[in-house]
Amino acid sequence: MKRLYLLAAILFLGSISVLAQGGGELRFCLRSEPKTFNPLLVEDEASETIRYLTGGVLVRVNRATLKAEPDLAISWKVSEGGKRIRFKLRNGLKYSDGTPFSSADVAYTMQQLMDPALHSSTGDAFRSADGKLITRVISPAEIEIDFPAPVANLVNLFDTVAILSAKSPQKEMAALGPFYVAERKAGSYLLLKRNPYYWKKDAAGKQLPYLDSIRLDIEQNPEIEALRFKRGEVHLINTVSPAIFEKLSADNAFVRDAGASTDTEQLWFNQVPGSPIAGYKKAWFTSTNFRRAVSESINRGDLARIVFRGHAVPAIGIISPSNKFWFNTSLKPHPYDTSSALRRLQQDGFRLVGDTLRDRAGNAVEFSIATNAGNRARESMATMIQQDLKKIGIKVNVVTLDFNSLLERMTQTYNYEACLLGFQNVELDPNSQMAVWLSSADNHQWNPNQKVPATPWEAEIDKLMREQAASGDERKRKQDWDRVQQIAWEQEPFIYLVNKDALVAIAPAVKNAEPSVFRPQTFWNVEMLALAR
Amino acid sequence: MKSIRVMAIAVLVLTAVAILAAGRLAPAGYEHQFRETPQVAPSTHHPLGTDDLGRDRWARLLYGMRVSLTLAPLAALSTTILAGLIGGIAGYFGGWTERCCKLLIDLFLSVPWLFLLITVRAVLPLNISPEASVTVTFALLGLLGWAASARVICSGAKDLMKSEFVWMARASGFSGMKLVRLHLLPNLRGALLAQFWISIPVFIIAEANLGALGLGVAEPLPSLGSLLRELQEAVTLRPEPWRLLPLGVLIVVISSFQVLLKKQEVRV
Amino acid sequence: MLRFCGWAALRVVAIMLLASFTGAMLMRIAPGFSSDEQELNSGLSVQSIQAIRQARLSDANVPRFYAQYLASLVRGDLGTSRSLNQPVKDLLRERLPVTLANLAFALAVGWLLGFSLAVAAQVWNVRVLTFLGNALSGTFISTPAAALALVFLLLRWPPAFAAALLLFPKIYRYTQNLLQQSSEMAHVLTARAKGAGPWRVLAWHVAPIALPQLIALVGVSISIGIGVLLPIEVVSDVAGIGQLAWHAAQSRDLPLLVNLTMVVTFVTVCATLISDAAQRGLTRSAA
Repeated sequence: MKRLYLLAAILFLGSISVLAQGGGELRFCLRSEPKTFNPLLVEDEASETIRYLTGGVLVRVNRATLKAEPDLAISWKVSEGGKRIRFKLRNGLKYSDGTPFSSADVAYTMQQLMDPALHSSTGDAFRSADGKLITRVISPAEIEIDFPAPVANLVNLFDTVAILSAKSPQKEMAALGPFYVAERKAGSYLLLKRNPYYWKKDAAGKQLPYLDSIRLDIEQNPEIEALRFKRGEVHLINTVSPAIFEKLSADNAFVRDAGASTDTEQLWFNQVPGSPIAGYKKAWFTSTNFRRAVSESINRGDLARIVFRGHAVPAIGIISPSNKFWFNTSLKPHPYDTSSALRRLQQDGFRLVGDTLRDRAGNAVEFSIATNAGNRARESMATMIQQDLKKIGIKVNVVTLDFNSLLERMTQTYNYEACLLGFQNVELDPNSQMAVWLSSADNHQWNPNQKVPATPWEAEIDKLMREQAASGDERKRKQDWDRVQQIAWEQEPFIYLVNKDALVAIAPAVKNAEPSVFRPQTFWNVEMLALAR
Repeated sequence: MKSIRVMAIAVLVLTAVAILAAGRLAPAGYEHQFRETPQVAPSTHHPLGTDDLGRDRWARLLYGMRVSLTLAPLAALSTTILAGLIGGIAGYFGGWTERCCKLLIDLFLSVPWLFLLITVRAVLPLNISPEASVTVTFALLGLLGWAASARVICSGAKDLMKSEFVWMARASGFSGMKLVRLHLLPNLRGALLAQFWISIPVFIIAEANLGALGLGVAEPLPSLGSLLRELQEAVTLRPEPWRLLPLGVLIVVISSFQVLLKKQEVRV
Repeated sequence: MLRFCGWAALRVVAIMLLASFTGAMLMRIAPGFSSDEQELNSGLSVQSIQAIRQARLSDANVPRFYAQYLASLVRGDLGTSRSLNQPVKDLLRERLPVTLANLAFALAVGWLLGFSLAVAAQVWNVRVLTFLGNALSGTFISTPAAALALVFLLLRWPPAFAAALLLFPKIYRYTQNLLQQSSEMAHVLTARAKGAGPWRVLAWHVAPIALPQLIALVGVSISIGIGVLLPIEVVSDVAGIGQLAWHAAQSRDLPLLVNLTMVVTFVTVCATLISDAAQRGLTRSAA
């Protein structure tokens, strides 16, 4: 009898898989309107989604194996210590409007991308030194690109470079990817249709993608998006909040926890020497003992369990443990230990007087944590930290500011004491965090734009960062990054709080979905996705 | 109708008692986090359950009402004074003064004052207490909310200036402050009171709307507005109807204020 | 009449200019005007971050920006949205009809409910109807627009219906009050004493007196409708000008905000003018 059921199940699943490959319209939501359709100028998540779905790239990083795979290029070779790359391209490909594709298009795209006046973050990622990019079209199916200096993580960077057509009258709207933008109603939706000239075929020789079209509704409110998912109006949600995840799982809706993501949530103190905050507070914030004491007094386990409802892990450092290659496995989470925190504080002359912690000069320890208004998770984390630090006599005031006001304080006036924010780490290779860890960089949040490194450990990080960026040897780079992670763990300029899990929702009608913790989590293999009828 | 008025008075008295005795009625402080029991359903320990951080909802409701129902009347008072002054001046003098005041009223109704709220909120000292910060928010609402009321007062004052008894008072030599003190203010008292009572719910609702947009009271202090923000998690509404209680309380309390308003005082 | 129209047009234009300029100044002095989220993008080079800051500061001189804006406006160019990277004209063309359609629906339903309930309560003088009207209006006048919008989302009811229910109490209460006052006038009482039926009294004696004030209420209800619709659009994700205005405020998009202030001011002031004109008409006819 069991065998009969098994047979029936196999037949049923088989029929679904056959039916599944018959087209249909996949629907999901964008949180905002795409700011641009020019793939070279993509900065926001919505535009990034359009680029991923429509852009043809030379190399695609497989989000399951994390390996670079051939796409428009059949093969590639990196030489000159990471300064040169040669691509061999597929023959006979066409853009969605029928314009033929050749190496001239790659040359055109790279020249456009590396134009300094374009101010493209995609282009800036390749810019490791001043100088001109040289492209040599060897044949219609072969091209060589020379960079002025070695580029770390060179091959994988091409995953974000959608190749434009040099000749198409449709310019950037001509697509080499699985879909092209067919229709758009501002503020409402975008309709992408299957690219009839898409090159990829499945194992059975059937042309991909399976789907006929994708409808992207613009939906800013994640609650509405979840409601629509429950009602079957959308098929995918790429990022689900823990509260919605719990609710959807209780309702037997199809949600998956793909594990800890690469995104981080962190707290840092303002260490800018010229900032308009009291001198004695600057002295606290620049003390390693003070930062580590604060870190040890935060119950990260509670943050993960309560704010993220168990869908987060206490953070260890710069790199999430899910980034298996680059994570320094010798590091362990900071313990939650208020006794140890008080001992560290005593070393710096702090003492508990009644319920209040006072510094050597008798100043009560009180500071504010600023975060962006409207982000419930961050507001909740700040409120929990407020209660945690009360236990060691520190008074914390939670300040929520609209994002632009907060940004101005962080990047221009430096008028804040502590800040709680999160960073999205799209790239697996930590070299993309260069602008955060170099002491001279704008995004070195706790003390940016330093002329000379303010501390010996920042000087050491600078040296390691430069070395790894110039090296083509992955083992050497990994060693450098392990040391950077060790220093950041010891000094805690950023007090890392949690790594959120990648929570996704995928309707049962969607076949072949393989959610990943890396963006775009649910539709990274979009050409293989299909809908059961 | 009389019984409804009695009920409304009872609701308001009960609310006032609950607000004043919040410390005794609440099982814990509004900021205390029961971390082992977040998001639990109502029980004997927590009559309205706990919120996402394990804070007692009943305590937060009581203290939230204290914040909103203390500050909103103060904001309403400042609005009524401003509306009385500007609307009264416009109606009393008429002509160009009235036109200028009306222009000012229209301008005040059209300008996106949200930016002023953002600005003031952002320039407040970082270590200001949540109580002081929410007081500033209500004070601003009070200073900016006079325009609609001023239009009503202007219209009332204008009607009064045309009335027979004012003509007679003028003919008898009354003018200036004496006319205002003896004839205009006593006759505008009803309209001013009506505007005061109407403004209270408007400000509670405005703070609630600001809370929903992230510009409300700072954590951990609760207000009716901040409690209403929980409604944003709309998907959780159905299985947890007690989350709707702050909205219910807001509606009942404000409706009670409305019942006490004489219907004749409702003007455009 | 011509003089009134001339003054009215002048008033509308003056308030539109003043309101949009004041709005622009407020946005300029609000913190975060020269900040852009992209500055936190660790992939951008120093030069690119500088370029982003420079672009933001190009509108920093508000008087100059405003003068340029007015010069372009004369040519029919409303400028380009900084944050959405689209011409403001296109954005308004796409979004304004959505808001206007919702406003029309809210006004129609709000008036239908409010007016018919007030008239029914007046004509039939049934306590149940009066109680129902008072209870409903008391509830909806006390409900925050954002909260009602969320409840409507859950119920899958159209957001414009939430706006209609928030408009309803004002219309109901004012109409009921007006009808009550008019029906207590001497000539109405006389007509009733002579045996005229309630519908006849309403149509021939009460309506002519109440009509100008009801027209005034139409004007006021338009501006109230705009006021309640904007937060509803934000919460319910309706692609109208309310959502656009919230986006403009969050992203400090000066060209977008100035144009939206112009639009909202135009509708609000025109509504007030209708109200004023109707009341003026009433005063004249009474004289």
